[in-house]
Amino acid sequence: MRRVTPLLVAALLLTGLVSAGSVWTGPATALEVGQKAPDFTLPGPGGKPVKLSDLTAKGPVVVFTFIQAFTNT
Amino acid sequence: MSADHAATLEAFTKQNKISYPLLSDFRRAMLPGYDALVTDEKSPIFRYAKRAYYVIDKNGVVRYMKVMDNPLDLLDPAEVLKALKDVGA
Repeated sequence: MRRVTPLLVAALLLTGLVSAGSVWTGPATALEVGQKAPDFTLPGPGGKPVKLSDLTAKGPVVVFTFIQAFTNT
Repeated sequence: MSADHAATLEAFTKQNKISYPLLSDFRRAMLPGYDALVTDEKSPIFRYAKRAYYVIDKNGVVRYMKVMDNPLDLLDPAEVLKALKDVGA
């Protein structure tokens, strides 16, 4: 039992570390300049779906995200 | 683009006569992949969008990006315009 206990503790610690690492904290790799922008389709005016790749096919696109409508953000 | 509901953005567009399309990421489908979702539970804007700017070229490649972690930070529009010029727009 004396020999088993440290091993058990080590195994538990290791499990804890591994599972802590797998906690979702955001995308695996952060987006950077030079990378392909993840494509998306989102509802636009009139509920019409707008696809990023349809827009970029016509030329460069500026995407701007803001905090909340009807505020000064 | 924001995490507001599509109907909210529709009304916001009409009220302010906004000429460009506002897209709704109410389901937070796009924002996380762009590092543009506030994930700090202590933040008063938890689960809202950060203020962020991206220029994406015709091949879908990010040519410029700036994500403001502080919601009070604003970007000089000239910086985005320069980035647009650099990609030939």
